[in-house]
Amino acid sequence: MGKLSRRTLALFLAVLCMAVVAACGDDDDDGGGGGGGGGGEAKTGGSITISQTSQPDFLDPALMYTVNAIEPSWLVYTPLLTYPRTGTDRDSELIPGLAEEMPTISQDALTYELTLRKGMKYSDGSPVKASDFEHSIKRVLNMESGGSAFFLGIEGAQDYVDAGKPEGDISGIETNDQSGKITINLTEPDGSFSHVLSMWFAAPVPSDTPFRNMTETPPPGVGPYMFTESVPNRQFVMEKNPNFPDLGEDIPPGNVDKITTLIIKNAQRQAQDVISGELDYMQDPPPADIKPEVKAEYSDRYEEVTTASTYYIFMNQRVPPFDKPEVREAVNYGIDKPALARLFAGELAPGCSFLPPGVPGFDEAMDIEECPWGNPNEPPDLERARQMIEEAGEAGTQLTVYGNNDDPTDKVTAAIADQLNKMGFEAEPKILDGGVYFQTIGSAKERAQIGFANWFQDFPHPKNFMFLVDGASIQPTLNQNFGNVDDPEITKGIAELNQEPELTDEVAERWRELNVQLVEEAHIVPYGHRKLATFLSERMDFENCRRFHPVYNNDYSSWCLK
Amino acid sequence: MATEPVIEQTGLQGPAAWEEQAEREQVHGLGPWRLGLRRLRRNKVALAFGFLFVLLVAACLAAPLWADHVAKTGPDTNHLSDTIQVDGETKNVVELDGVPIGPQYFKADGRFFLGADRNGRDIMVRLLYGGRNSLLIGVSAALITTILSIVLGLLAGYFRGGADIVIRALLDIIWSFPVIILGVALGVALALGGLSIGPITIEGDSLLITIGIIGLVYTPYMSRPIRGQVLALREKEFVESARAQGAGPVRIMFTEVLPNLASTLLVFFTLLIANAVLLEAALSFLGAGVRPPTPSWGTMIDEGVDRIATAPHLTIVPGLMLVLTVLSLNVFGDGVRDALDPRAKVRIEH
Repeated sequence: MGKLSRRTLALFLAVLCMAVVAACGDDDDDGGGGGGGGGGEAKTGGSITISQTSQPDFLDPALMYTVNAIEPSWLVYTPLLTYPRTGTDRDSELIPGLAEEMPTISQDALTYELTLRKGMKYSDGSPVKASDFEHSIKRVLNMESGGSAFFLGIEGAQDYVDAGKPEGDISGIETNDQSGKITINLTEPDGSFSHVLSMWFAAPVPSDTPFRNMTETPPPGVGPYMFTESVPNRQFVMEKNPNFPDLGEDIPPGNVDKITTLIIKNAQRQAQDVISGELDYMQDPPPADIKPEVKAEYSDRYEEVTTASTYYIFMNQRVPPFDKPEVREAVNYGIDKPALARLFAGELAPGCSFLPPGVPGFDEAMDIEECPWGNPNEPPDLERARQMIEEAGEAGTQLTVYGNNDDPTDKVTAAIADQLNKMGFEAEPKILDGGVYFQTIGSAKERAQIGFANWFQDFPHPKNFMFLVDGASIQPTLNQNFGNVDDPEITKGIAELNQEPELTDEVAERWRELNVQLVEEAHIVPYGHRKLATFLSERMDFENCRRFHPVYNNDYSSWCLK
Repeated sequence: MATEPVIEQTGLQGPAAWEEQAEREQVHGLGPWRLGLRRLRRNKVALAFGFLFVLLVAACLAAPLWADHVAKTGPDTNHLSDTIQVDGETKNVVELDGVPIGPQYFKADGRFFLGADRNGRDIMVRLLYGGRNSLLIGVSAALITTILSIVLGLLAGYFRGGADIVIRALLDIIWSFPVIILGVALGVALALGGLSIGPITIEGDSLLITIGIIGLVYTPYMSRPIRGQVLALREKEFVESARAQGAGPVRIMFTEVLPNLASTLLVFFTLLIANAVLLEAALSFLGAGVRPPTPSWGTMIDEGVDRIATAPHLTIVPGLMLVLTVLSLNVFGDGVRDALDPRAKVRIEH
């Protein structure tokens, strides 16, 4: 046998042995019973070690934009406005953060005035000044952050970007360090701007923070915790901020003293370590492989919560056959939502509403029982779908179903293609790399027919979802209205509601009506809302110290040891 | 130690005895191919592995028969919400929490013989169809490598000089990259935008991309030894003789030199298939080869890794098919080499 052959054989035998050894690995940990809850005394102090599967994109409030970064960092950088951390339904309502009060908004909804609380200090002891806010926004705009689009509506923001000078001025932001007053002028009304001010991008950092990625030495902020160590791809450490001011009981300090986050690629290992107590929390859910065991044996420290997110199928209305409303309706009737939910290993709540739970305008009845296309928890009306496609003369039409290679998107895409075939189409999945997927389907040249899409909220405002189906937002490249939904009534409705600076009950009701119209007219196929899992170690007080925040997921500041 | 020819005693003496002996033994000056075949027939191990390879190919070619008559489902058909009868009991193909059914062997009349994957697809059906794709890629890529290597090896070895320098430099560039690194780099790059050469456009998810990449990255490993052999052959008397008779370079290359490379090429080809099948699996496992949901043994191993703790067969079975294919081709290839030219050192080392 040749040299290669022997080497190959040895390699394969080794791989096989590893596979067998891995398969036979035992797991004797015993779980308890019982359920969640809360409300007891929270113990303070102690250190915990948690894990993430991949390094956060950045640990710099101007640049970070992934869950890995935001979940820990929102406890380090408090913006002018924020959300309560109380574990109640109020947690998705805006409250003043570093600002004394909610902004005063002018009649024309173009000017926002806020005043900083007095005497606040960053975690390094330096004072917080009103001008720091403008510096933070400049960093976002100058460093080509993913969040810059949120702030381009500020007067002079585009000119500042075009000038390319970090120390330039944004004419629409006026600050007074003496009084702490901050005035922001917009070029046009933006109904969600208060929520934009609550994003981490807008959290003040000291004015001497350089215009570069500070992930290795994250800038100080005002929050219950501060970053004290950051070694990319290995670990980062958060410790209690000794200078955290009293911001009221809605913004409490943390319980544990120190949180070390390790970057561990292997999700299996993370889950085993949480079971054995070597880790106290894993950010990703336990792998599908061992989840049934975790749910069965460790249910006293495992919980799934539905997030404000929507998974949907886009149908490009500028490309046949989805230019025909009856074809889009047929697909809505024929998609097997419970089947798709199984691909998420129980981490998808089937639903019909585009606006997800937790976002004003969400219609719980329409999401399930009153869904116009049938209860999403029940099998689809495949026969009806088949008949409608036949009548539309589209039986046998070739479709390319777009998806990416992230798990489980590739499997979902294959399942959607299979379901379209059962309806009478001839569909083929086209799996693209996750890194270029959304740019590709957002390019008009690609003419992507139908495919996978999802959206997780940036903030709990309906606009943050409805812009995805806004005819006014269609553009030739980087289009996020993948289906080119261009319904004049919906577009007009979004434009009108965007003029409303406050999300009153009446405004929320109008957003709900738009959401219902969007679903009833079959512009897209929403099929569910993602659940996230919380799995804590035995030594954590799961019963009394656990908050899942509707905007920022797990609230590390709520955790405590038994 | 020299040995005297042993001649059976027949009563005849001298040349007459030798003639009769030769007639009895039917030794009529065998050609190299028949001699090689005779030697190969004596190598029972090589033959057994050759037979194993034929069996694997036959099983994969019979995939539609299994799919239609036993499993009653296709390789891409999802059964996420379906149920099946197992020993009179109704079972979900995929449970609500996403856990698919395990191997049923013949308990469900051959349906889900090796269980289902997360999409509820029949693993046995995908294994057989995946084998077709893996073998198709292996054989096609080996063909591309062989054709490219013949052309480049002949040009460089026969013409020498400038042609040799340019071709060698090109091959050295490819050679300087480890096969997997180069394969992954090309696979990822081409998967994004596909390949467009003039009027020909190949989609990024086409098997042709994987075939082309594997065919290309192995070319230096075959064309350099061929070039070496051509360099030696072009100095032989029979080439000199052809040249003296006025034969042009193309004619000499294809009628004098190439036939003398045939045995080397055959051995290389067998070993190349094995290596190409292996590389396809590696690239697909790393996400740079066959694109899901198209089945191949590499993609199946990749898909099975997530569930290795609870369903190791998802990884082990396609892995085993891969091992058997590569092993059978390597052992058979070595046997062919030993039979055709025992002194040859045909290796693909990287």
